[in-house]
Amino acid sequence: MGTNGNGRRGGTKLPDVRRPMEEGDCIDMESPELDFVYDDCDTQANEIAELYSYTEHPEFQHNVKAFEEIMDEFNYPPSWQRLTNTQQRTVVMKLLEHLDVAVSEIRMRATRCILYLAQGCWAEMQSDAEQAHWARVNIMTLYDMGTFAAFVELLNLEIVRSSAAVASRKLAESLADSTNLRVILSVLYLITEHMRTEKENVDTEYAHLVKTFKEEIGSPFGEEMLPVKLLGMVTQLCAGTTPHFPMKKVLLLLWKILLVYLGGTKELKKRKARLREKYGLPPVTEDTLEIIKSMRSSSPPPSAADMLENQNPGQRKLKENERALRRQTFMKQTSLDESDEQIFVDKEETGNGSEDYSMEFQSMSSDNIQNANTNPNCPYYMYIKRFDSPPPPPPLPRSLPWRSKVRQKDIDMFLDNVRIKFVGYSLPGDRQTIAGLPQPIHEGIEILKKHMYTSLAEVQAEREFEIARSPLTRGEKDVEETEAEILYKAMLPNLPQYMIALLKILLAATPTSTAKTYSMNIMADVLPEEMPMTVLQSLKLGIDVNRHKEIIVKAVTAILLLLLKHFKLNHVYQFEFMSQHLVFANCMPLVLKFFNQNILSYIGAKNSIPIFDFPACVIGEQPELTKECLDIGDSSVPYSWRNVFSCINLLRILNKLTKWKNARIMMLVVFKSAPILKRTLKVRHALMQFYVLKLLKMQTKYLGRQWRKTNMKTISAIYSKVRHRLNDDWAFGNEVDARPWDFQDEECALRVSVDRFNQRRYSSVVDLDGDLTPVDTDINSVLDTIIDLDEEFKLNYELWLEQEVYNNEINWDVLLST
Amino acid sequence: MADGVQVLLRRNRPGSKTKDFCRWPDEPFEEMDSTLAVQQFIQQTIRRDPANLEAILKMPEAQDEGVWKYEHLRQFCMELNGLAVRLQSECKPETCTQMTATEQWIFLCAAHKTPKECPAIDYTRHTLDGAACLLNSNKYFPSRVSIKESSVAKLGSVCRRVYRIFSHAYFHHRAIFDSFEKETHLCKRFTYFVTKYSIISKEILILPKLDDETPITQPVGESEA
Repeated sequence: MGTNGNGRRGGTKLPDVRRPMEEGDCIDMESPELDFVYDDCDTQANEIAELYSYTEHPEFQHNVKAFEEIMDEFNYPPSWQRLTNTQQRTVVMKLLEHLDVAVSEIRMRATRCILYLAQGCWAEMQSDAEQAHWARVNIMTLYDMGTFAAFVELLNLEIVRSSAAVASRKLAESLADSTNLRVILSVLYLITEHMRTEKENVDTEYAHLVKTFKEEIGSPFGEEMLPVKLLGMVTQLCAGTTPHFPMKKVLLLLWKILLVYLGGTKELKKRKARLREKYGLPPVTEDTLEIIKSMRSSSPPPSAADMLENQNPGQRKLKENERALRRQTFMKQTSLDESDEQIFVDKEETGNGSEDYSMEFQSMSSDNIQNANTNPNCPYYMYIKRFDSPPPPPPLPRSLPWRSKVRQKDIDMFLDNVRIKFVGYSLPGDRQTIAGLPQPIHEGIEILKKHMYTSLAEVQAEREFEIARSPLTRGEKDVEETEAEILYKAMLPNLPQYMIALLKILLAATPTSTAKTYSMNIMADVLPEEMPMTVLQSLKLGIDVNRHKEIIVKAVTAILLLLLKHFKLNHVYQFEFMSQHLVFANCMPLVLKFFNQNILSYIGAKNSIPIFDFPACVIGEQPELTKECLDIGDSSVPYSWRNVFSCINLLRILNKLTKWKNARIMMLVVFKSAPILKRTLKVRHALMQFYVLKLLKMQTKYLGRQWRKTNMKTISAIYSKVRHRLNDDWAFGNEVDARPWDFQDEECALRVSVDRFNQRRYSSVVDLDGDLTPVDTDINSVLDTIIDLDEEFKLNYELWLEQEVYNNEINWDVLLST
Repeated sequence: MADGVQVLLRRNRPGSKTKDFCRWPDEPFEEMDSTLAVQQFIQQTIRRDPANLEAILKMPEAQDEGVWKYEHLRQFCMELNGLAVRLQSECKPETCTQMTATEQWIFLCAAHKTPKECPAIDYTRHTLDGAACLLNSNKYFPSRVSIKESSVAKLGSVCRRVYRIFSHAYFHHRAIFDSFEKETHLCKRFTYFVTKYSIISKEILILPKLDDETPITQPVGESEA
């Protein structure tokens, strides 16, 4: 794949990919800290604006036209605001009636008209706010009247019709092929996106509709669930049979549907807390995202080219200072759950340390939480706040941001080792006996036990093991039908294909991938029928194409991460199944390839033209296309929200795939991820750096002494930012060579467990061993069994009866007594 | 049918004569204690006087509205089968090749995975089958005592489609429609039902008001409703 040479010799040798800013890299060290706040998605306005390509502009006018025509036909004034509520409902009802009509033009005119209503009747509106208000009201009315279900039916119809139409003529795909599909998907997306926002809104008057909506997308439309239908569309596109599918809209819709159906970060947190309680585990007290919000990014990034770093001791000093500052800002959250288990790395630590710092940070964290609460609507609030606040207090001793953790497995291993060493034999399975061990070891065990953390995954895997061992006595009772469970069941038959398809699309949309190499076309819903004539127009199209790709990347990464997180929580083997298939489909090199670009320029890319975004592009006076208007817009934000979001998603996915999986960590090493990841650290954003550091930490011990020597700053950053695990010798692991090839066995064992899990829970064939199937003793059911007898037997059965039954004496007593 | 002292079984035993069919005294709604009480009550009121729409559609107090609508729609679909049977003799796929009403708008049959243009009689059959499937579906309507909001929302589209059966019969097979309507008052009841609960707005109900036109053609049901 496109990974480049070993980073030890630095960036000078980077052979491939576009790195136009190569020279400028060192200057970028002064790049500003990003005030980006990670969330489930962007603001509603931005999310809606991203639905439309700039090339779709002319179509907005078709929508008004459809509306005006229809209103004229219905004998109403072409002004939505002037209609009474009942009249509006009547119009919607009539439009729905049109959707069932066989003539495609009538149907499509009605869908356009409905789209116009869902867009907030912008032609009548004076401002964005007004338009947003009407969009919300109309969408809720539309949903209430059953529009969503009707549009899903239409989607089914249009998928088949358009495919037939497109197959009949072979031309380059353009916007025109997907007009109908795009209108339908847009309406579905707008409804879903508004429902998502409404769900966040605690005191909404539409709560009942939101609830209905969630139920509706959870139940199949016709034969399949909507998310599965959409995943099917993605697979079809990748198979090349339906090149005209508007992929961006399909993916955005899929993402939002999953977000509403499965829930975002908040729901995950709640569900995790509930599950931990159910399994009798202590609640999680740390919330990764929250803790990191209060961290500062490592400033200046610890890596430009390695060479620069080494030649510049003064800089290093500066860095140390900064780091001291940063330490002061670490905070510990007390009451917040942790949403993402994926996080930790380690180091040894003295026993009472953790209590100390948790006390010290208490006061600060409560402040912080308050800040967050006072202004939940402003995503950047916390950051602004923090920069305003007076300089932090003098450095606290030993302040690490995370509680250290240790797994039961690690404790067992430790016990085993010390017993062998001091007593001379091992006691497998015994976790209590400490007789004969010296006092310091007792203390060590005490501390380990105090820091033990049991994850849900371990409990679930343990339970699965138990079921496999004694299926009848300890077998599983009814599985709770959670949303993730229902979705997993629906996705299971084709899950590998879905993963491959999503990754293929991600690959095609990755900036570093060369065009033309990939057979499928994700551009069908952006390229206009006629290519631009002027320079400005082609400039605009260029921006549009890049924006389109970025949005696709954003949607795919968000979908993958969301699925991984929910499956992980629901059952760890569901998660493992999905991640296995991601790994098989080469997800890891793909992500690395993605980061093997000039990440700073990707983060800072400005592939958008604010005045062409919806609704700005239709409300108020429209300027001519000039050079200036491409530049208008808020340049105040030095980064692209969606690109930072995608990068963080990808890093989190990579973390999820590799955590605790030695074989996959080896892949990180083999693909030479370290230099790529190090370059990513240049982005000054604490959360993003955190996930990169985690990825570096897990492979540090395989990178060798030389790497460690030249990257001490990165190692220090890992030390201070990433969770420590007791007894884990992550940085200087010496036993690397001891057992390097067990790793494939681990993978195989995991695969066996996962297959057994899927087989047991979801296989339609009851595959119990013959011995374990209960004998059918019910006379009715036995007599009811249909047994195929051949004709000859039927004719001569009396003979058989005579010979085999009547003349054959059976001594039943003997049967009983033996 | 009343056997014994108190026990009154409301059953049509095999071999019951037509005149004995369903001949049992009414039971007050409060005393019906089966899970099918609402259906039983609706059918009882219809038997008493199919023309008395108000009585039929007067919802008992403390009745869940979702269930009430559901049971009525169920009843409509069951009775509509009667119309479908009569239509079969006249409405052939060769003559009525498409589902149309007035405006020459052909309607798509939504019963298929991808909707298609079925002949009118097939549309009728498919729609009624589809409605029966949906209304008996364990997934959407697992209980007849309480119904999920999202399932109640599905009734609207069923109503719209079912109404087209009436309109096709009215505009293309008027004689059958009239004789059926005279016996059952089904279309009037349906119209009353969908307007009362604003499931379909008046503008879409394209059949002329049936009562008003009694003078033009033969009497369509007594206009006492």
